[in-house]
Amino acid sequence: MRAFEIIGGLLALAGLWALPQWGELSPYVLHIATLSAIYAIPAIGLNLMLGYGGLVSLGHAGFVGIGGYAAGLLMVDAGWTFWAALPAAMLASGAAGALVGALCLRLRTHFFMIVTLAFGLILHAVMNNWEELTRGPVGLAGIPRPEAIALFGAEIAFRRLPDFYRLTMAAAMAALAVQALIVRSDFGRMLAAIRQDEVLASARGVPVMAMKVAVFAIGSAIAGAGGAFKVSFLRVAAPASFDMLESINIVLIVIVGGAGHLLGPVLGAGLFVAVPEALRVASAWRLVVFGLVLVLLMRFAPQGLAGLAADAVRRLRGKGALRAPGHA
Amino acid sequence: MLLAVAEQVLNGLMLGSIYVFVALGMMLIYGVMHVLNFAHGALFMLGGYCAHLVFTQAIGNYALAILAAIVMLIAVGAVIERTVFAPLRDNLRNQVIASLGLVLFIENLVVVLWGPNALQFRIETTQAVVSLGVLRFRVQHLLIIGVCALCVTALFLFLQRTRFGTAIRAVAQNPRAALVVGIDVVRVHRVTFAISMALAAIGGALLGPLFLLFPQMGDLPLVKGLAGILLGGMGSIGGAVVGGLLIGVIEAVSTLVIATDYRDAVTFTAIVLVLLLRPQGLFGVRTREEA
Repeated sequence: MRAFEIIGGLLALAGLWALPQWGELSPYVLHIATLSAIYAIPAIGLNLMLGYGGLVSLGHAGFVGIGGYAAGLLMVDAGWTFWAALPAAMLASGAAGALVGALCLRLRTHFFMIVTLAFGLILHAVMNNWEELTRGPVGLAGIPRPEAIALFGAEIAFRRLPDFYRLTMAAAMAALAVQALIVRSDFGRMLAAIRQDEVLASARGVPVMAMKVAVFAIGSAIAGAGGAFKVSFLRVAAPASFDMLESINIVLIVIVGGAGHLLGPVLGAGLFVAVPEALRVASAWRLVVFGLVLVLLMRFAPQGLAGLAADAVRRLRGKGALRAPGHA
Repeated sequence: MLLAVAEQVLNGLMLGSIYVFVALGMMLIYGVMHVLNFAHGALFMLGGYCAHLVFTQAIGNYALAILAAIVMLIAVGAVIERTVFAPLRDNLRNQVIASLGLVLFIENLVVVLWGPNALQFRIETTQAVVSLGVLRFRVQHLLIIGVCALCVTALFLFLQRTRFGTAIRAVAQNPRAALVVGIDVVRVHRVTFAISMALAAIGGALLGPLFLLFPQMGDLPLVKGLAGILLGGMGSIGGAVVGGLLIGVIEAVSTLVIATDYRDAVTFTAIVLVLLLRPQGLFGVRTREEA
């Protein structure tokens, strides 16, 4: 069964990698696929916090914005390359996450949600109003795509959509890999212990506060990477891309995909970006439907799509296991 | 300077009254059902749109339009309470996320039905001006403050002097004990939700004519109302009133000192400071374990 999963995963990867070569595929499809990958990255960061750590942060888009603006400003004003600006952006949003986390994580449940919401709004207000730095509501324009690199003698020009698409796909895969490593490490197990019973975890010697701040910082750093890719893709960093609605959208992506499942954020991001495009619905209708889906999921399937799929697989396997002794 | 301060204080009281409508509604639901309804701002906005709809399409009488908006919002609230919050009781995370879903649903449904552009809501009281000494104000300012004072007084009397009000307070203190002494807890939840919806409808219908109606008009009052609740102390009705008014006044007066662009950031910073330095608020006591 494991071999089956690995082969399936590799096939899916190969398919995604070759997407730009699929016959007469329009640039439009690549555009959608790129945007899905870009949404998946911050969602993976939030999944670590919300799905695995149990921390419902309502200001995640603010940290995506810190990464986006840090990368944009370093490239536009300081003339850095994308490759230098990307780690700097992650460092900036990760450090901001550690700072905000250290302040907010003393609070729990409602209070934690409100204070993260407030921080998201403060960050948005700063992006909107600190005109000397951020250029205000119109946004920071002229952000370049990543510089071309030479690999095995061939030049990869990320100006072009197919190569940029592959880059964001690779970045999303890297974020997924980081997520899987964290979840399966001792760190991830301690996180699960805190989520299930904080007092018990603390009594068993888990450094609760340090763990929470760490996962907040890591989640924010991943969000910052997403921000850097987003502004490089859109060529502009504007406050409207990082507002409260966007924070809710990221929560939505994580929940619809399945919080606490490795592939949940990817499923959620794909659905969030691609399905409405495929159905060609107006953007307002799309959010009406997603809002309704979110409410319905909470009522009837709070484990999300990945959770539903996992349940289905378990049920199939469970039946097989029950039947097996009779056949043997 | 003194004149400017007085003017801003009255402006602040008007804004604060709007925040009190939001804060009281959220506070009641939090106190009785122990959940924060993040869709409250969207419902506040819906109240404004309902009043506008009735005013322009049906009767053209502002007071009746507000009453109609109250009835419509109570109906919407009844559906939401029964289909979303009641079934998810005792699951805080899922309730909050469902309420975020409601925000998306309601705000964008309004965009679909009424369009994304702001609507004008013209009534006489926004045009008429009244003089208070050297200060001149629109009648609508005074109307908002007056209606708010009236509603707060009525709510206090209801909660303190009536049998059902006592039942609501009992459920807020201890739902299980309330059930044991024979209080219909489900009914208390429903009535509380209806009161909260009525307050949201009044708030939205009062604010609409003063500025414009637009789908996101409830977002900031939601956050400001939350700030008021936190400032007053989570779980205290009086605290929500004082906190809401204070946030309005602080915000208005702060515009004399710092750039207006940062007016909203002042409130958000107040939330963060209160939560970090005095999580029980000005009047609250630290009871529940999350603070």
